[in-house]
Amino acid sequence: MNEVDASEHYQGATSTAGDTTSLCTVIIDTNPRAWAAMNDVLPLHKAVSNILIFLNANLAFNNSNQVAVIASHTNRAVWLYPSRPDPPRPSHDGGSTEDIDMTDAPPASTVPTRATSSANKYPQFAQIETAVLASLKKLLDETTEPDLSCTTSQLSGALTLALAHINKTSLALAANSLSDKANSVPGAAAASFSSSTIAPGMSAHILVLSVSDAEPSQYIPTMNAVFAAAHAQIPIDVIALSPASVRSSNNNNNNNNNTSPPDGPDSRPPRPGSHAANHSASATSSFLQQAAHITNGIFLCPSTPRGLLSYLTFGLACADKTARAALVPPTHHSVDFRAACFCHGRVVDTGFVCSVCLSIFCSVPTLASGDNSTANTPTTTTTTNTATTSHTAPVECLTCGTRLALGSYGARPAVVPRRRKKKKQRVLPNGSVREETGSATATPAR
Amino acid sequence: MSVGMGQSLQLADYLEKLPGTTFRKLYQQPSSAFSIFRRMLPSLAKTFVMWMLYMSHPYKLEDLDARVKPEFKQSRDHALAVLRTLHMIQYSVPSKDRPQEIQLTTNFKRSMQLALEGGGSHNSFGVPSDLPPPPEVTIAFLDEHARQKFDAILHYIVHSVAPGLIEAGGPKSSVKELLLAGGMVRRQGGVTSITQTGFTFLLQEKNAQVWTLLLLWIEAMEHSPASGLEATEMLSFLFLLATLELGKPYDTGALTDQRRNMLPSLADFGLVYVPQHKPQQYFPTRLATDLTDTSRSISTRSLGAAWAAASAPASGSGSGSGAEEEEASRGKIIVETNFRLYAYTQNVLQIAVLSLFCRMSARFPDMVSGRLTRDSVRRAITFGITGDQIISYLAAHAHPEMHAFAAAQAKPVLPPTVVDQIRLWQLENERMKTHSGFLFLDFVDEKEYVDIASYADEIGVLVWRNDRRRMFFASKHEQIRDYLRLRKKA
Repeated sequence: MNEVDASEHYQGATSTAGDTTSLCTVIIDTNPRAWAAMNDVLPLHKAVSNILIFLNANLAFNNSNQVAVIASHTNRAVWLYPSRPDPPRPSHDGGSTEDIDMTDAPPASTVPTRATSSANKYPQFAQIETAVLASLKKLLDETTEPDLSCTTSQLSGALTLALAHINKTSLALAANSLSDKANSVPGAAAASFSSSTIAPGMSAHILVLSVSDAEPSQYIPTMNAVFAAAHAQIPIDVIALSPASVRSSNNNNNNNNNTSPPDGPDSRPPRPGSHAANHSASATSSFLQQAAHITNGIFLCPSTPRGLLSYLTFGLACADKTARAALVPPTHHSVDFRAACFCHGRVVDTGFVCSVCLSIFCSVPTLASGDNSTANTPTTTTTTNTATTSHTAPVECLTCGTRLALGSYGARPAVVPRRRKKKKQRVLPNGSVREETGSATATPAR
Repeated sequence: MSVGMGQSLQLADYLEKLPGTTFRKLYQQPSSAFSIFRRMLPSLAKTFVMWMLYMSHPYKLEDLDARVKPEFKQSRDHALAVLRTLHMIQYSVPSKDRPQEIQLTTNFKRSMQLALEGGGSHNSFGVPSDLPPPPEVTIAFLDEHARQKFDAILHYIVHSVAPGLIEAGGPKSSVKELLLAGGMVRRQGGVTSITQTGFTFLLQEKNAQVWTLLLLWIEAMEHSPASGLEATEMLSFLFLLATLELGKPYDTGALTDQRRNMLPSLADFGLVYVPQHKPQQYFPTRLATDLTDTSRSISTRSLGAAWAAASAPASGSGSGSGAEEEEASRGKIIVETNFRLYAYTQNVLQIAVLSLFCRMSARFPDMVSGRLTRDSVRRAITFGITGDQIISYLAAHAHPEMHAFAAAQAKPVLPPTVVDQIRLWQLENERMKTHSGFLFLDFVDEKEYVDIASYADEIGVLVWRNDRRRMFFASKHEQIRDYLRLRKKA
């Protein structure tokens, strides 16, 4: 009967959206120490070949799918694929070079290094494999002795690169489909899609293969990137190879302490050994757990790293957004929501929060003088505070500059017993009836 | 929701009819497994395949169910049904102590793994030629070659509708015979005229057209044993072509004799190019490399162009031809709510197709305008074109501006009033619709009826049901038969 009343209205008109293109970005943590520690379980070359199969699977889903690979190294984030044609620029840390860096990430078609094309391999796969292996080799060759002391990797930088690349691809996609419009009215094309969300015909996701610790001081940039990803609806999937990261963090913690500079508002103070080790070991998964949680991604913590490929294909392979929506994600039981403080970059269980900008501090602001705003979280952990009592805390908030003061911190909260048991109703001037709340001022009626 | 639902051949229908042995043979070649995986499966099915690809033991069906959200049960069943018809998975027989399990079929699994890992010595992704390619063969050249060949075929079909057109050379006589045999055109007293199948063909999008033509060819070759070509071999060669790289020379010497014999025909269709002075090389064209392109929307095309555009500053050359190709294939039609239609084209072929269902009123150097009227649409319907075909043609060729507007307003691409009206016009003289299929009746009890009917609904073959009289009508019966058998055992 549907045929007669023509109730299947718009099927023909709306079916133009076929399979969506997806862009899969893989971030590989290439901390040499962590991989060395894992060598007997899962050597780097094996992990990379597993990742390559995963990428191939992603490409196999659709003709137009694209992939990108980024290495998050000890001191910088490096493109592995698409690789840049010209030699890398010397500086990676300067914010001013960021735009230039991005334009240099070329698309797949321009990678020239395809030495041998085998008849046994899909050409695109061979091309990616050659490019990734070549740039990875180059990266490892460029790694110097001082780089090795670092136990962390530049995750936030890699995430930012990935997001910028996704944004650029989606802009190119959208700009292309609207190119006529853009030619006639320059503002129109930009106005028709928000710059922070990706193009409708495209879906993107990021996979992070994490083996080392996250630098607690990177908490803020990492979370900024995560929130940007969440806003653009880009899921961040995480595979954290945790046993190794715990081991390596315990081994290398001493080195880390020596390298940290002396006091100052922005620097990390020396940490008491055992506590800091525990904190930093859980810091990796803490940040990345939050990242996966916030962006609706999947967090996997394989108990047997050797089976990485199974985890990749079974746990994380998703053809596109529609398939992902239809599936129940592998659950992670609990998410570690601990944050790193803004003043020393330490992971805290309980901290002090600026009431204006919500910055988190690990220590009590000692010079209480202001009266207009207060930092007012009632309790602290013993471990974090005892370590830093000698340390003068900022009087002004580091982030927003508001004068901070602590109210009567540590005082016993006075609990006023409720006097009236029975509810008393009061008729307001506008005739509505509301319950007595017990507060002096009435809740404003909208 | 394939675009051309008409009588013309679709790859899915064709593959469905093939027996399991053919699939086993096809899947021996990794590139076939890879291409069928990419072309034929819904995204959920692709995900399922990936799950099971590196699994050493069979996967319990209930475990799979647990990973799919309950509200997507229908797409899950559809995905599994497709996987099954393509002989990619096999079910175990359920018993009391062992729940039902599924696993990938051996050949498919091995070939798919080989395709992803790139190992083995199957040479199924084409043996590149060592000889230097002729300098004139560029991507632009190949695009032009493919366009000429294929447009000649389309022109030949349209020719009978709009006799004023200049026939640009025309396809080879063998291709003409093929079109005749496939019922695209009929010849009456020396005059060729288009048939309903021909119209359906014309209104399909390019990829479907290519496949229809190729399947016609395969069927024709099957019925003439003199050719010495086997359907399986032809299919696997086509799937191989789909994985080749555009603009690269490949070695004909590495091909089997059968495959080498196919090259001239494929060159006639515009799928490959064989240089006349260098017959030991062949080049796949875009028609061939896009064979596995599933997305029929503008997204792929524009993404391809986006990548080309993005590469322009870096590479500088080689991207221009791609952009031109995009320019040629992009939609050009604007439909207004007042049934006026504008097409920014001077392609005679497109204009001829439009004039099949529009009253064309004016032609400008770069644009034609016309109106969708009741008479013009009804005339098209008497030709045998369906309203859905017109709608999907308009949607597929909609101007980017229409897409942009629709995306911004979150509305369908075509004005709903026009879509409705075309349907209504069609309904004026199409009160009846026929489906061929199978009627199921005489069920033992209500429970059995409800169970089987809802199963048929889930796998998407149910056409009609009448609960009171306990009968339903389904378009296919194979899976219901299997289901009945399983049910009887359980």
